Amino acid sequence: MPKLTIDNIPVEVPQGTSVLEAARSVGITIPHFCYHPALAIAAACRLCAVKLLDGPVKGIQMSCSLAAQDGMVVSTTDPEAMKLRSLVIEWLMINHPHDCPVCDEGGECLLQDFTIAGGHGRRRYQGNKRTHMNQYLGEGIYHEMNRCIQCYRCVRFYQEYAGGTDFGVMGSAGRVYFGRFEEGQLESPLSGNLVDICPTGVFTDKTGRFRARYWDYQFSPAVCQHCSVGCNTSPQAFHRELIKIVGRRNDNVNGWFICDRGRFDKEYLNTPLRPRDPMVDGTPCEYEEALAALAARVADLAKVHGPESIVIAGSPRLSLEGALMLTELAEHLKGATLSFYAGPAESEVSLGAVKLLNEQNAATVRDLEGADCVVLYELDLIEEGAMLVPAVRKAAVRGGQVYLVSSGQRTLSKPLPFAYRQVASLDEVIIEGGAKGVVICGAAPRPAEEMAQIASLGAKLMLLQPGPNGFAVGTVALESRAVPLSEVLSSGKVKALLAFEAELPDRLPEGVTLLACADWRASDLAKGAAVFLPTTTWIESDGTAVNFEGRAQHFQRSFKAGLPLKGLDPKYYQHQSPAPLHPPRVPHGEIPGGKERDCWKVVAQLIEKMGGGSMAEPLTGKWGALRDLDPEGGGIRVFGLRDR
Amino acid sequence: MIPEELKKSLQQRVATAVTAREAAVDVMKELQSHYGWLTDEAVGEAAEILGLSTLQVDELATFYEMIYRRPVGKKVIHVCDSISCWCAGFERIMEHLRKKLGVVEGQTTADGMFTVIPCCCMGICGDSPAMTVGGNFYGSVTPEKLDEILEKERKN
Repeated sequence: MPKLTIDNIPVEVPQGTSVLEAARSVGITIPHFCYHPALAIAAACRLCAVKLLDGPVKGIQMSCSLAAQDGMVVSTTDPEAMKLRSLVIEWLMINHPHDCPVCDEGGECLLQDFTIAGGHGRRRYQGNKRTHMNQYLGEGIYHEMNRCIQCYRCVRFYQEYAGGTDFGVMGSAGRVYFGRFEEGQLESPLSGNLVDICPTGVFTDKTGRFRARYWDYQFSPAVCQHCSVGCNTSPQAFHRELIKIVGRRNDNVNGWFICDRGRFDKEYLNTPLRPRDPMVDGTPCEYEEALAALAARVADLAKVHGPESIVIAGSPRLSLEGALMLTELAEHLKGATLSFYAGPAESEVSLGAVKLLNEQNAATVRDLEGADCVVLYELDLIEEGAMLVPAVRKAAVRGGQVYLVSSGQRTLSKPLPFAYRQVASLDEVIIEGGAKGVVICGAAPRPAEEMAQIASLGAKLMLLQPGPNGFAVGTVALESRAVPLSEVLSSGKVKALLAFEAELPDRLPEGVTLLACADWRASDLAKGAAVFLPTTTWIESDGTAVNFEGRAQHFQRSFKAGLPLKGLDPKYYQHQSPAPLHPPRVPHGEIPGGKERDCWKVVAQLIEKMGGGSMAEPLTGKWGALRDLDPEGGGIRVFGLRDR
Repeated sequence: MIPEELKKSLQQRVATAVTAREAAVDVMKELQSHYGWLTDEAVGEAAEILGLSTLQVDELATFYEMIYRRPVGKKVIHVCDSISCWCAGFERIMEHLRKKLGVVEGQTTADGMFTVIPCCCMGICGDSPAMTVGGNFYGSVTPEKLDEILEKERKN
């Protein structure tokens, strides 16, 4: 391990570490634009210059592309290096439009930070600036090419990392232009990361333009709940409106990036159509009232028909806390049936994966990147787990063989950005002895004999779940012997259905007299429920999610739930009649539309209302170990806990 | 649309290359001489022949100054503006060209004969200032010599 000195601080770093990273490890940030830890080194911007005073290399060097070596004496504050850096920035800034006040990047802009940090503050160049025409790049990304400082981060990410071929760099010298051959939607499912990776505002999130500044945002570490990969995100909210979702680094899962679905698909969280009021028989009321009414009705029904007539339903949308709390409710209503999946196919896929996987055979994303052979089994990877695509690509670029096993039932929604061989059956897949193999299976039904064949390949497994938190819910369902909802309902004995963030069928069978729903979205059936209890989504609540590889990750509430201020109906300020001429001048603590509660708390409160004990902590027993999980700690795999 | 014959010969050129990308410049030049300039249609055809995306072809096409992505005159005048030629009087030559032809850099004369484009070093610094007209090289150019060159090139 090379030992070197940086600004008089002795540093020891692993072989191959750059001087820039070595400096960062002791808290010294050398300004840089083109350098990004996830990308190959370009050394294009010339900003990270340092001076080497002594050792194997001497003089001004680019710290991003210089490997740390024994005996180096590095100065980041040498006047010569500082002068060079300030001149480089001045030069990079020559054509920059200085439109920070109208730029969405303002306040979270690397160019702003490093221009100041690099010591350039006064423009000397008085000539014309080069300008460009912008392109329409789809509904996700706004293009403002004039802001570009030619660091090549976008094109390196798009082509080298994501494998896209429709976005790149054109021209040469002072005319370089980053864009497409012709205007149009960017094709890569990871295109949204251009927003995160651009050091300035060339690519900004079109879905959150001109809404707020960085210092306005409320945000916390979150875990994306669109699919079972469990990418780490930071949802940025302002006045209860979710403005943007950006990627959050977790090297165990998503690295630095997230997919476009996780980034842009957020309208359902902001929509004013989300159910916000507790209701009893279609009439809005207070939460406590609704809970009391539900407790009373369940008690009555249990008295007449027995608790066997009650079904408690959840789904893989629940957090681990929610799923565990449902088992408590089932315990309290002894005899009631617990259900976590809409149908048997889904249940089999999820529980099958939970049963089959263990610490040894469950592949991590790192395993996937380093695999010699990757098998995509009956799977549209971009649709079912887009953030695994760059990992497979990494394996393929390293020389790994990728097979796509497809019997032709499933078609790819988009072409895969890596070389692969399509085969009709598993028999044609050859994983040579000693080779590191990974098989990725989608959440489509998997026949038992084929699963046995997959397990016998000797490869590590990635079994995607049919819902975002499928692994946690599947584990709980397995332990609590849950039954798929369609099976319970078809028995004809059900009188009451208590659905907690559950996927309801289109219509209920005859004989069900009580339907209660706790959810943050409402189907037509749920809207007509006898008791409706609004719940918070994953960005408005704390909880634990377990991804497909059994990694438990904690997510935290970004903001208190309620209707976004934007477009808020004035009725929330005009209780009096006639309506006042001005919004109220007295404070009140209520958030308009802010009655939602976390689902697990709703269940806990219901148990309490029904005479059970109070439940302050959902993670008990063996799950207690997850209570203090650090949301920024990368997560831990739960196999050890599960099998305890 | 390019003739089937041209397409076939280009496909052969690509087939003999180690990587398709390596043959890209040859393909683009052939298509350019067919169309007169590298049209969007030609970029599409090049992409198809090379197995690249249109963007990837355009990345290369816009990098090279002798691939024209806009219509040009019958003959293109490239005047070297790199350091040796610039020291040896590039600006004088360019000024004379502007006056003589009534165009500025990047423009085509009204009769469609000449397009004037400055270019990078052609590696003939010993004969600076240097220029090419329609692919023919001229060195040690002076304003007087330039008049003769233009006269000659206009006739041929």
